[in-house]
Amino acid sequence: MRADLIDIQIEDFGNDVEISLSGSLSKAQLSAVREKLDSLMSGPGVFFFLNLERAHFAVDEYLEMFLDLMNKTRERNSTMVLLFRNEELLEYFSRYKNIFEIHESREAYKSSGLSKQLKQVGVYYGKKTGLRLSPSVAIAAGVLIMGWLITLFLIIAAQGKDIADKQSQIMALESQRDRYVQEIDKLESSIGPLKRLGVVEDTSQLNSFGAIRDWVSYLKHLENTRREE
Amino acid sequence: MKPVVSFLLQLSPQTAYGNLESVARNLSDGLEILLNYRKVKCSIFMDGPTMEMLKKTAKPLSIGKIKAGVDEGLVEFLGGGFYDPMLPLFPKDLQIRQLKKHRSKLKSFLGLEPQGYFNSSLVWEMGMISVLEECAFDYALVSEAAVREALGRNSPVSGWFTVEDQGSLMRVVPVSDELSKAIGEDDLRWREIAESYNHEEKPVVVLLDLPPQAEEIVGFFERLVDFVETNEVQTWPVSYIVNQLQPEGALSNLVSAGRKLGLPFAANTCREMLVQRPEINTLQKDLLNLFHRGKGNLQGKDLEKFYEELLPAMSPIFYRNLQDDEGMRSLKVRQWGFRYLQKAAHDLDSRMNFSGLRIDVSDFMLQGMKQIWVENPEISCLVDYNQGGILRLLNHKTPAVNLVNAWHDDGGPALFLAECLLPNEDLTAEQIGVLLAGRDRLFLEHYDYQVKRESGSAQVQLCGEQGYRVGEKQGVFLVKKELLFDNGSPRIGVAYEVANTTYQENPCYFGTLMELGLLESGEGPCIVVDGSKVKWDRREPFIYPDAKKFKVFDSSLDAAIELEFETPTPVFIGPIFSASSAAAPQMFQGIRVYPFWKSSLAASEKFECKMNMTLSKR
Repeated sequence: MRADLIDIQIEDFGNDVEISLSGSLSKAQLSAVREKLDSLMSGPGVFFFLNLERAHFAVDEYLEMFLDLMNKTRERNSTMVLLFRNEELLEYFSRYKNIFEIHESREAYKSSGLSKQLKQVGVYYGKKTGLRLSPSVAIAAGVLIMGWLITLFLIIAAQGKDIADKQSQIMALESQRDRYVQEIDKLESSIGPLKRLGVVEDTSQLNSFGAIRDWVSYLKHLENTRREE
Repeated sequence: MKPVVSFLLQLSPQTAYGNLESVARNLSDGLEILLNYRKVKCSIFMDGPTMEMLKKTAKPLSIGKIKAGVDEGLVEFLGGGFYDPMLPLFPKDLQIRQLKKHRSKLKSFLGLEPQGYFNSSLVWEMGMISVLEECAFDYALVSEAAVREALGRNSPVSGWFTVEDQGSLMRVVPVSDELSKAIGEDDLRWREIAESYNHEEKPVVVLLDLPPQAEEIVGFFERLVDFVETNEVQTWPVSYIVNQLQPEGALSNLVSAGRKLGLPFAANTCREMLVQRPEINTLQKDLLNLFHRGKGNLQGKDLEKFYEELLPAMSPIFYRNLQDDEGMRSLKVRQWGFRYLQKAAHDLDSRMNFSGLRIDVSDFMLQGMKQIWVENPEISCLVDYNQGGILRLLNHKTPAVNLVNAWHDDGGPALFLAECLLPNEDLTAEQIGVLLAGRDRLFLEHYDYQVKRESGSAQVQLCGEQGYRVGEKQGVFLVKKELLFDNGSPRIGVAYEVANTTYQENPCYFGTLMELGLLESGEGPCIVVDGSKVKWDRREPFIYPDAKKFKVFDSSLDAAIELEFETPTPVFIGPIFSASSAAAPQMFQGIRVYPFWKSSLAASEKFECKMNMTLSKR
């Protein structure tokens, strides 16, 4: 019945599974605790948090049990994290403090480093989906994809710049045209009264002579019209 | 010699809380009569809800008059728990919260701090001393019988005494049981009894219950005034005793089981109730479970708000072995109590953002044996693997109901998923009802448990040998019982494998018994089989021959349970009644549902069956 003195609590949140042990754990309960934890941790889950804050270990054999459990979880590409903050347990686990992941709480572990957690989840899902890549291939594929992405970005940026230049040219030309139109209007208005009196002949309507500014041009024009005839 | 009495007035345990507004109005009018007369000095205890209602309904002048009466020493208001709980049944944090909440309410209502502590149940244990001291109480009222027991004497006891525990001190004032009864029942010997207490003009404390019916309260105050005037009684508030008289001595130990709780006479602590009545014990343990979970996971204002949700479930009505809506013998009261707890559980889940599944193997009932608590955001249940894997609690959080809530006069708990073998005979529904009520054919031996986690669900696998008796035959079956819980749905899958390990044939009916605390309202249809409503008068048991889906629903609770079988299965359904003190001999306490399967169980043969249970709103 001593084995029945252990309190076990399991909280299943999908990838995260928190298992809390409480009570005084002596040698008599070792096999029962091992069996229960083994069974619980063989189920689905990526992160197995063992909350030991309210547990007291009376013998050292539990250290080996936890090492064993940690190896088994690693084999399943999962992670085992021990949760506690009390001094007594820190002392108990001091020999293996560099081996075990020890944190104060689940939240503390979550904020301890995103990359290792992503890696862990990646490894877990890699196993689950059957897609596995060696690190060099994964890096090469990553570099290639990044290269593609950068090139694409540069092309888009260059095209964007070109479009912006053309846009500014169009705008400049449009403003120039507007200026000329205004100037012509101004000139037309200034000669308007003279035209109404018949003093000035409107040559602007004579399209064929519109471009003739000197004698050379006039002669060229004559020659061209004769040839056409 | 004039009799000297300290009257202590309190609301009766039978007070109609459904009509509290009317009670408060009449109380206000009654107090006015008392204060106008000016010659009756007394102490009054009102619980928090009554005080809130009094504040809401009383006229401004009445409040002013009460305040003036307090200032002039005509009336003293006593402190206590906001819901007047029996403090020793609860954790210290909740005790303090109850006391402080009542104190602050009294302060905001009348601008006074109570000097004395009172609990209508008159429960006392030494552990309360430090809590009362921490909450600034000077004295407490206790039962005279307890003081006599502590002093080892049978003669009347009055005045005040001291008790100490863990370095804390409290003054205790005995309340005379005998004189309270005599005056309360208009016994003409009251003067003679009072004289035996009034040595050296020491007042004797008399506890009087106000009438439970609102319309009788004013009359009560008029009679009290008349009584004091006619008999020339000298009256004082209780604080006068402690403030003006010398102590009578110190008590080394003081314990009182309380009054009007329905406890056996020999009980000397209110905790006896938890041993005597499993229904009350289950409610209290459910409350403790929520308290510990909240305390471990919430902080600051969240924790305070969650505690507030728990306080109403500490009300004494849920811890009394009384009927007629005064205690837990009434199904309505049990449903009411669990509703408070389930609302608190729902609140806790939302504050914790709880999702997924939680399985807790611990000594939930605090009886030295483990149980398995399984919880998801929709349901929670307690699997007692040491007792045949029965479910002791099955809470559906959204309609806030515990389905395993029936009552048994024999003091046994209500059972759910308790396997039972019936002989392979031609039995009528009445006979089956009698056999099931007898409870002597149940598989209630210990099972070994295994929790198997799966993706999105978990299985609690129970396995063990169970003794049986079918007719003349006796033997042992190897039984495997599997309960499958989903992470987020109110569904439980149940599978059985019963192996006959003997060399004899055991034809029998194998089934599982469910005792549900439903259908209290007693009106309208309540059973649907394979989509069709079935009429049932809730009195005569019957057997539905072949059901694939069997649903029981309670429209007043908005709760339903549906059983779905693999093959058409006969289902027995019958009422559970208990004895009552009234002329009618039976009180409805719930229903008994028993789906069963015929099995030949030849030598070394296995029998397997499965069903799914879904809890839903109506």
